[in-house]
Amino acid sequence: MTLQECYAALGGDYAGVLSRLRSERLIQKFLLKFLEDDSYGQLCRAMQQQDHQEAFRAAHTIKGICLNFGFTTLLQSSSALTDSLRNGWSPESIPLAEQVTCDYQRTINAIQAFRQGANAEPH
Amino acid sequence: MREKTHNKTMRFLLLSLIIICALCICTFLFLTTHMQQQSLETINRISTFYMSGMSDQIAMHFETTLKLQLSQVEALVKTIRPDEFDDLQTMYDTLTRYAKIRDFDYLALCNEDGSLTMIYGSQVASLNPQPFADSLNSGTEKISAGTDYLGNDIVLMGVPAEYPMGNGQNSVALVAALPADYIGDVLSLDQNDSMVYSFVIRQDGSFVIRSHDAYRNSYFDRVFALYDSVNGETPDQFIEQLQAAMAVETDYSAEFFLNGERRYLYCSSLPYTEWFLITFMSYGVLDDTISHFSNQWNLMALTSCAFILLLLLLLFAGYFRFTQKQVYELEEAKQSAESANKSKSEFLSNMSHDIRTPMNAIVGMTAIAIANIDDPNRVQNCLKKISLSSRHLLGLINDVLDMSKIESGKMTLNEDRISLREIIDGVVGIVQPQVKAKKQMFDVFIHDISTENVICDSVRLNQILLNLLSNAIKFTPEGGSVQISMYEEPSVKGDDFIRIHFLVKDSGIGMSEEFQQKIFDSFVREDNARVHKTEGSGLGMAITKYIVDAMEGTIDVQSRPGEGSEFHVTIDFQKAGSPEPNMCLPHWNMLVVDDNPQLCESAVESLKSIGVDAEWALDGESAVQMVNAHHLQHEDYQIILLDWKLPGMDGIESARVIRSQLGDHIPILLISAYDWSDIEAEARSAGINGFLSKPLFKSTLYYGLKPYTDAAVPLPPQENAVSRLNNRRILLAEDNELNWEVASELLTELGIQLEWAENGQICVDQFAQSPVGYYDAILMDIRMPAMTGYEATRVIRRMDREDANLPIIAMTADAFSENIQKCLECGMNAHVAKPIDIQEITRLLERFLS
Repeated sequence: MTLQECYAALGGDYAGVLSRLRSERLIQKFLLKFLEDDSYGQLCRAMQQQDHQEAFRAAHTIKGICLNFGFTTLLQSSSALTDSLRNGWSPESIPLAEQVTCDYQRTINAIQAFRQGANAEPH
Repeated sequence: MREKTHNKTMRFLLLSLIIICALCICTFLFLTTHMQQQSLETINRISTFYMSGMSDQIAMHFETTLKLQLSQVEALVKTIRPDEFDDLQTMYDTLTRYAKIRDFDYLALCNEDGSLTMIYGSQVASLNPQPFADSLNSGTEKISAGTDYLGNDIVLMGVPAEYPMGNGQNSVALVAALPADYIGDVLSLDQNDSMVYSFVIRQDGSFVIRSHDAYRNSYFDRVFALYDSVNGETPDQFIEQLQAAMAVETDYSAEFFLNGERRYLYCSSLPYTEWFLITFMSYGVLDDTISHFSNQWNLMALTSCAFILLLLLLLFAGYFRFTQKQVYELEEAKQSAESANKSKSEFLSNMSHDIRTPMNAIVGMTAIAIANIDDPNRVQNCLKKISLSSRHLLGLINDVLDMSKIESGKMTLNEDRISLREIIDGVVGIVQPQVKAKKQMFDVFIHDISTENVICDSVRLNQILLNLLSNAIKFTPEGGSVQISMYEEPSVKGDDFIRIHFLVKDSGIGMSEEFQQKIFDSFVREDNARVHKTEGSGLGMAITKYIVDAMEGTIDVQSRPGEGSEFHVTIDFQKAGSPEPNMCLPHWNMLVVDDNPQLCESAVESLKSIGVDAEWALDGESAVQMVNAHHLQHEDYQIILLDWKLPGMDGIESARVIRSQLGDHIPILLISAYDWSDIEAEARSAGINGFLSKPLFKSTLYYGLKPYTDAAVPLPPQENAVSRLNNRRILLAEDNELNWEVASELLTELGIQLEWAENGQICVDQFAQSPVGYYDAILMDIRMPAMTGYEATRVIRRMDREDANLPIIAMTADAFSENIQKCLECGMNAHVAKPIDIQEITRLLERFLS
């Protein structure tokens, strides 16, 4: 699985991210690191504790990461969630958070598939 | 050394002059005296000849006269024979008659004992009766001196003849007599001219015939009385010598002084007598003649001597002047050689220093790089500096090589088809960073150049313009203005050529009149405190001048110290054969805005030639009015060209106003001679679609405007080198590690030393603990735990630190305008939206860090 295919799977803008980071190696490195990023965990915890401020911050962070990495699909949902949390809880927050979870899973799946493909590839 | 040589020459010249003068004078003196002596001797010899001749003449005359008288007496004797007469008295009468006819004063008969019986005349007697009688008795004719009874001197001439005497005796001779004076008269002894006179004397010195002023009885008495010395001897000795000579009847001559006058004496014996003729000649006249002659000679000698001396002096003076001149010229040549040598060695020492500086940097940086071989940042930094120094060094060496090429006459032009636009674009591009670094006003004016493609050596033309421009920049202080302009005119070389004028003008330190004279000489740099710190080989202008000469162009300079310089280069270029590509744009109506009317006119003219109608305005305000006016008439300009630097409202501001009033549909291009990378972001945000770099050649306009023929497509942003951010230390406040890593990865690549603060609080603490000036800027995320970026910024701004006002740039995923507003309110300088766009960040950082 190539990076490009991975981006296609997770619904991202590969050309955009390549033009910014200018190196496949970097993109790959950051993709793998994204698996370890705890922003999503923070978001989930804040949602459970109903800490809207912390949830907003976490959503915002995810949005920033998505911007940096060109994860267009996840960006859309996280961006919407961020906006819904900006001024406290709003009725859309829960469904938006579910959408984020869905998109996040899709992204993670794609990246994990990529990692396995990359590892499986002979060097 | 010079003085010494000069003195030596002077001494030698003077000495030889004196020696030659002395030699000349001596020679002439010797010649004069010698000739005088010679002439004196010659005169003496001539006098002797003359006198002896004269004496001989007189003596011969005397002899002839006496012979004649004797022959008269003889004739008397032969005519009157005693036997023809019976009567004695008749015979005496006849004798008397005949004798008187012959003018004899006395006639007598002489008997055997010598006594004379007078026939007529008073009684006379011989002074030496005995020798007289003896001679007559022996039948020989004889002449003798005698006296009459009055004592008058007479000359007796006896011819043997037998005449009966009254006493029955026969005479032995008939004696006739004449007064001595008669002889003197006949001999013209007293010639009444003072030059020659003669005496007749006897051996005892007594006078026979006196003449002249002699009154004494004896010549010897006269000698004693009158003469002091004769021939350097006493009168006694002289007389002795004279008498001795008389005794042996030889001629005698002597010289003496009488009354201070030189006289010459010649003594010879007279025939038939015991008398001696003494002839005197006075040298008076002769002396006068001789002294006149010798005076003349002396005068001549002196004159010629003086003449020769004068000539010599003149010669010497001429020679002296000549040598002086030679010495002077030699000195001058020496001095110029020395000064050339000096300027070369000065140049060499300057050059060595100038070469050493970058060389040191290279060596040092190499060492640092080796020591930090594992630290790519350091190595990269070092390499960057090394490459800068190398380029500088290469420039210096190139200059020297060029100069040596020129000096050995090996530089040739490598002519090819070039585009003046490309050359000027290139040159402007090269000097832009320098202009920017010195914050100078820079402008390029191209006045309607019709022929852009010409035949020329592009490298050399580049060199000329770069030399002039970099000099202008170098010698113009910060904030000054530098301007290059260019116009064309028909060439005198014909229709195939075009004459291009390049003018490079600055408002720099200018040059002294004196320096302008030699600015194009090799190895010259104005020696002036202001110029000392300016680096360069000092060869630039000499090389420039040489290249211009090689291109058969002219270069001149006008400058005043403190007011700036203007270089004017004129070159005739051959037009490139192939015609310009057919440049044609749609029939647009355009607006050109620039504060320089010439540039506007020129641009409008150029636009017209590529099929575009254009109007122009001199400032932003009138441009906005014109745009609005056209809009109201529904005749919007298709494209607007705005100069960046305008009086009052600048180009970007004008663009913003136009955009706010008319929207986005009209492409607005910014024209600038500057590097626009700084202002690009601002310009683009103000609605500028693209940029056109000055100079505005026809082709610049054509190719710059062509993309807008289809649609308003913005030009791709330019890649720019980021060296200014090298080694800057920036604090990045970012809570997410992944985002931090991305930023770190991207910014470190630019040479930035990035430090991470995980939230606002840490960021504040880290900044508070850092030394002043440690951080160059802060990149601040907004949404952070513990402390937000807003608060962190406020805290930092409130700190009592010198660097509390450091640039803080917000970096956030929120791009709402109210967020941006809040960022600025908190004291942040700018806002950049995520995703991290390296170019955007670079631009901002460069703007705030420069």
